[in-house]
Amino acid sequence: MDDASIDPDATGDDGDLPEAAGRRLGSGSFSSGLTVPDFAACLQMGLAPVALVQGFCVMQWGWYGQGSPYSRGMTPYAFSGPSVPRGVYSESYQCPHGGYSYSNEHRVWGQNYQQPWVESAWAEGFTSSYTRMVEEATEVGAHGIIGVVDTTRHLADMNVTEFHMLGTAVVVRGVAAPSGATPWTTYLAGQRLAKLVEAGYMPVSVVASLASVRVWAYCVTEMLMEGRPLSAYGAGGYLPVAEVEQLSRAHIAARSLAREHVRSQLGHDTLQGAAIVANTQSLAQGDEVIECALRGTRVRRFKDFDPLPAPRPTVRLS
Amino acid sequence: MTQPQDLPKEAGHRLEELEHGLFTSDLSVNEFLLIKEAGFHPLGFVMGSSIYHTGIQARRWSKSQELTKLTEAMYNARELAMTRMEEEADQLGADGVVGVRLDVNYYEWGRDAAEFIAVGTAVKAEDGTSHRNAQGKPFTSDLSGQDFWTIMQTGYVPQGLVMGTCVFHIAHRGIGQTLGTVGQNVELPNFTQALYEARELAMTRMQDEANTLGATGIVGVRLEEKSHQWGSHTIEFLSLGTAVTKSSGEVTLPKPITIISLDN
Repeated sequence: MDDASIDPDATGDDGDLPEAAGRRLGSGSFSSGLTVPDFAACLQMGLAPVALVQGFCVMQWGWYGQGSPYSRGMTPYAFSGPSVPRGVYSESYQCPHGGYSYSNEHRVWGQNYQQPWVESAWAEGFTSSYTRMVEEATEVGAHGIIGVVDTTRHLADMNVTEFHMLGTAVVVRGVAAPSGATPWTTYLAGQRLAKLVEAGYMPVSVVASLASVRVWAYCVTEMLMEGRPLSAYGAGGYLPVAEVEQLSRAHIAARSLAREHVRSQLGHDTLQGAAIVANTQSLAQGDEVIECALRGTRVRRFKDFDPLPAPRPTVRLS
Repeated sequence: MTQPQDLPKEAGHRLEELEHGLFTSDLSVNEFLLIKEAGFHPLGFVMGSSIYHTGIQARRWSKSQELTKLTEAMYNARELAMTRMEEEADQLGADGVVGVRLDVNYYEWGRDAAEFIAVGTAVKAEDGTSHRNAQGKPFTSDLSGQDFWTIMQTGYVPQGLVMGTCVFHIAHRGIGQTLGTVGQNVELPNFTQALYEARELAMTRMQDEANTLGATGIVGVRLEEKSHQWGSHTIEFLSLGTAVTKSSGEVTLPKPITIISLDN
């Protein structure tokens, strides 16, 4: 499947920037989205901001896609067929009460399944906006992009999702403009970036990935989520203190998949400042979509760590 | 000192009181301390306001386009508020205004009218040197007291709060376009280009303002988006930041030291 792979060597030469971008980047003054403390730290490190650079991609966001239940038909027997990539996560849950023979709420089976078509669409949107941002930075001869902020939002009533990436392109003072080299990128800026370099690591690129898992709840999950007694007939029984296993496993799987996607992009490098965010969209009675995004900066060691001087004790008066 | 052109009478009375030594400010105690440390002292809390009728502009359902009349209105209204704030600062003999905030408020009594407000604290250098910008006006900046002190340490001085705005109508998709992509997760290039273009226009205009001030750069750029009361397909993109110039002389920034906090 397609991960949200950020190719650190991507040159971003799509040539599809708007005309206004060319005019803005050709302007004499620099612009930066850095806060003043970050700006000061940037200068202290020997970096000079060149321009605020950005990239966009608007994607149509549908429920469908190759491999989705809407194109292959729902099945309790995990993913199968030539159109579905191998190795995707899926597990089924059997109704312990005898299924529909009792009542409609007893589905015969439930399923957790990964949604690679959603992950691919997210990766495409993220990578397109990233590439465009890098293209702007390349145009101004930047060595790198710091303080990257990426946002994803659904535009109201348009059924589309916008990917927006923003960062400050910088050059290393006293170093010639790179010819043909791709700018490095990082979510870090200011003191956090300074500390990373002090620790002997250089940023390579931002890395991000989304994992999407759909929960098709079976009767036990539904009943536990509604706080109803666990009875085969919907009456009597008892309310146990029990783990909602299907949901737990879906959450674990989403996080685990996001980690796997990111790990596959790191090569021999390491991830710094990893941030994992999980969003749950409730559909109905335990049915959920869990989307887990993992972001961080891919870093590479370039020198040994120099021991820092002993810290000075301070007391704030505020 | 230039006389304010269109300030209300009450503003004149208030500013006269401030000229006799009393100062007002919305600075926190820490900000006040750092403004003083940077060699400035506050003169007074200054503001400017403009209630503007934003009107309407025809837009085509299926065409992405800038709504130039609305862009012009949003621009002019903010400029009026900013200019009036600058006039108040000018009357106080200020070198600049720090901590500027720009807000837009809508009231029930004026459906298509909005109040644009600019507020900040006027400051003056204690050593008497002028820090006015290239146009001879007090500089404006949305920097906090802490940020103001820090930017001065880097050898840069603020020139003005610069902004660029663009009101853009994002085209609706036709039935044919919608049906053509049913069931697919695909990029919609017309939406991408429209949003991209709109933001770039706003940022370009902000940079043009900075160039007019002779600035070498802009720090703390923010991009804001609002649909106000125009519906979801019409969006105002506003780009804001503080234009700065490099002061003469080489500045060596102190190397940061490591600290350990003894607070809880």
